[in-house]
Amino acid sequence: MRFRIATATAVLAMGALVSTACSSGTVSGTSSTTAGANGCVSGPVKVGIIPKLGTDPYMVTVKNAAEAAAAASGNSDVIYTSPSDASGAAQIPFVNQLISQGVNAIMISGSDVNSTSAALKKAQDAGIKVVSFDSDVASGSRGFFVNQADTSLIGAQMLTAMGDMIDHEGDFAVLSSTQTAVNQNAWIDTIRATLSSDPRYAKMNLVTVAYGEEKADVNSQKALELVRAYPDLKGIIVPAGIGLPAAAEALSKNGYLGKVKLSGLAPVSLVKQYIATGNVQDVWWNVPDLGTLAYHTAVQYAKCQIEPKDGAKYSVPGLGEFTVGADGQVLLGPPTIVTPQNTDSFPF
Amino acid sequence: MNAAMKPGPRHTSSPASRVSTALSTVVAGLRSWSGLLAGATLLVIAVGAASVPNFLTPFSLATAMATLGPAALMAFPVALLVITRDIDISVASTAALTAACSGLVFAAQGPTPVAVAVALAVGAVCGAVNGFFVAVLELPALLVTLGTLALFRGLCYVILGSTPISPIPDFYAALGNNTVGLTILPWALVPAIVAALVAGVVLRGLPTGRRVLATGGNPATARYSGVRTRRLRFGLFVASGLAAAVAGMIQAGLTSQVSPDLALGMELDVITMVFLGGVSVLGGKGSIPAVVWAAALLMFIRKFLQLNNVSGYAQGIVIGVVLIGSLVVTNAASALVERRRRSAVSAESTPATTS
Repeated sequence: MRFRIATATAVLAMGALVSTACSSGTVSGTSSTTAGANGCVSGPVKVGIIPKLGTDPYMVTVKNAAEAAAAASGNSDVIYTSPSDASGAAQIPFVNQLISQGVNAIMISGSDVNSTSAALKKAQDAGIKVVSFDSDVASGSRGFFVNQADTSLIGAQMLTAMGDMIDHEGDFAVLSSTQTAVNQNAWIDTIRATLSSDPRYAKMNLVTVAYGEEKADVNSQKALELVRAYPDLKGIIVPAGIGLPAAAEALSKNGYLGKVKLSGLAPVSLVKQYIATGNVQDVWWNVPDLGTLAYHTAVQYAKCQIEPKDGAKYSVPGLGEFTVGADGQVLLGPPTIVTPQNTDSFPF
Repeated sequence: MNAAMKPGPRHTSSPASRVSTALSTVVAGLRSWSGLLAGATLLVIAVGAASVPNFLTPFSLATAMATLGPAALMAFPVALLVITRDIDISVASTAALTAACSGLVFAAQGPTPVAVAVALAVGAVCGAVNGFFVAVLELPALLVTLGTLALFRGLCYVILGSTPISPIPDFYAALGNNTVGLTILPWALVPAIVAALVAGVVLRGLPTGRRVLATGGNPATARYSGVRTRRLRFGLFVASGLAAAVAGMIQAGLTSQVSPDLALGMELDVITMVFLGGVSVLGGKGSIPAVVWAAALLMFIRKFLQLNNVSGYAQGIVIGVVLIGSLVVTNAASALVERRRRSAVSAESTPATTS
C-alpha cells in the first residue's frame, strides 16, 4: 500500500514538473538583472567567479583582488564559488548556479578545456558574458581569456635571472619536474636554444637535466646530488613550483646556498625568505593584478564597452592599457624576475 | 499489520497509552522509508522555494535533473544487486571505459550508431566480467568490483592517454544537454526514469523480482526452491554494465568530451542513493520508489546548497551527514518497533502464564 502511495506521489510530482515547464515554453536561464535588450549592463555588474578549487590560495588571491576592485569601483557584487574537486565536471553545477542567480559575467579558471563548455554556452545564451582566466576553456564558450604570463618567455627569464646571479659564467644544471612535462620541456628547449645562440651566455654551460618528479623530498635529494656530483656547479634552474622551494631549503640547510645560486618558477610566498638572501631569483607574475585585470575585463565586457576582437584596446584602473590579441587573449604582461628589491610587490 | 500497531485493549483509556498509540503511528510512518524520504524532499522543496530565489525555476530544475541523470540511472541496477547481497562499485569506471571505447569510434569518424553499439557492448562485457567473478566463481562482489573499479579506470588512461576526445557527436551532446520537446525534462534523466520504472515493476510485479528478493533473503533457500541464483546475479551485473554504458554517454554529453577521468568518483553518489533509499546492506530488502525519493532528496538538497553558494566541500559534509543520519534513523526506528513488538507479545502471553 505504501508502495502505491509513494509511486502515485512520484508520478504526480513528475507530471507537475513537466506540465509547469510546458506552460513556460523554453528552458533558459533567468536573468534578474538590469541588462538591457542588447544584453548590455548599465548599472552595477554582478560577477561570479569559478576557480578550479575553492580553497586554492592562488585562487583566493585572485578573489581578494577582484573584490577589492569591485569595492573600489562601487560594484560590490562578487560571488566567489567554491568547487571541491579539480575536475571540469565538478565546475558544471557552479556554472548553472551562477546562471540561476542571474549574474552578468562569469570569470572561470577551467579545470579542463571542454567540460564546462555546454554549460557556459547556456550562460552566453542567457546574456552572461564569460571571461576565462589563469587556465583557458574552449574558445567558443568564452569571450576573453586573461592569460597571466606569456609562457614562452618564462624559460628565457629564468636563464636571464641565472646569468645575472653567476655573472654569465660557469656550469649550471636544470632540476625539472617530470620527463614528460610539456611546459617544462618547452622552457628547457628555450634555455638550450638561447645558450647556443646568444653570445652573452657563451661561457655558461648546462651540465645536466635532473627530475624532481613534482615531489618535495625527491627535489631536495636531487638538488643535493647535483651539488655533490658537479663540484664546480654555480647554479640550478628549477622550473617547478614544488621544486624551487624544496631545492632552496635543502641547499640552505646543507650550507650550499650562496656557492650555488637558484632561479626558477614558484609562487613568491613560498621562496620569499630565500630570495631575501640574494641567492635565489624567482620568475613569477603578480597574481592580484591577474584578478584585477580579469575582473575589469569581465565588467567592461558586460557593459559592452569592449569586445574580444584582435587589436582592440582598453584600459584598467591601476594597471594601464591592454591590447586584445588573437582569439580574445589578453596578456597580463611578461613574467617578472623577482629579486630582493621587488619581492614586496608580490603578495602571492 | 503487526502487533506494535494496535495497542492492547486493556490500555486504551490511559493517557500513557494514547502517547504510545501516537508513537506507534509515527513509528509506522518511519517504517515506510519512502514516505519519510518523500516528506523530507517536500520539506526541502518548501524551504527552498520560500527562502532561495530561483529555486524552482525551469532552468534550476532542468539542470539539477540533468546533473543527477547518470548517477540515478546507475543506482537502480545497483539497488537490485544490493538486494541480492551483491554490489557493483565499478559502475563509474565502467561508464568511463565504455565512453572511452565509443570515443575511439567517433574520433576515427565512425558513425554514431556504431559508437553507441560499442559502448553498450563494452558495458555488457564489463558487467559480464564482474558477474563471472562474483556469480560463477563466488568471489565477494565488493572486492571484485573494487578491483575492476581500478582496472577499468586504468584502461581508460591506457586507451586515451591524458588527452580527452572532443568534439563529441551531436547525439551525445543532445543526450547530455537538451530537454524533451518543450518540457523541462532533460533527456539526461530519461534513461534513469526508464530504469526506475523497469526496476520497480520487475521487483514488485514480476516473478524475477520475487527471485531477486528471495536470493537476497536467503540464497540457499532460494537455490533449493529452484531459483537459478547464479544466472540471476550474472544478469544483474550485465544490466549494471549496460546502465553504466548509457550513463557514460550522458556524462560525455554533459561534459562535451570523453576523458579518462569521466564520472570519476560517481560511484559514491550511486551508493549514497541506494543506501539512503533504504536498501538493506544485508540484502533481501529494498524499495525502488524509496531509491527514487532518495535521488530526488539528494538532488534538491544539492540545489538548495548550490543556490546558497555553499562550497563543494560543505556540500559533501551535508550529504555525508544525511546518509549517516538516515542509517541512525532506520536503525533506531526498527529497534523501537522490535522492542514494542516484544513487549506486546509478552503482555499478551503474561495472563496465560499466571493463571
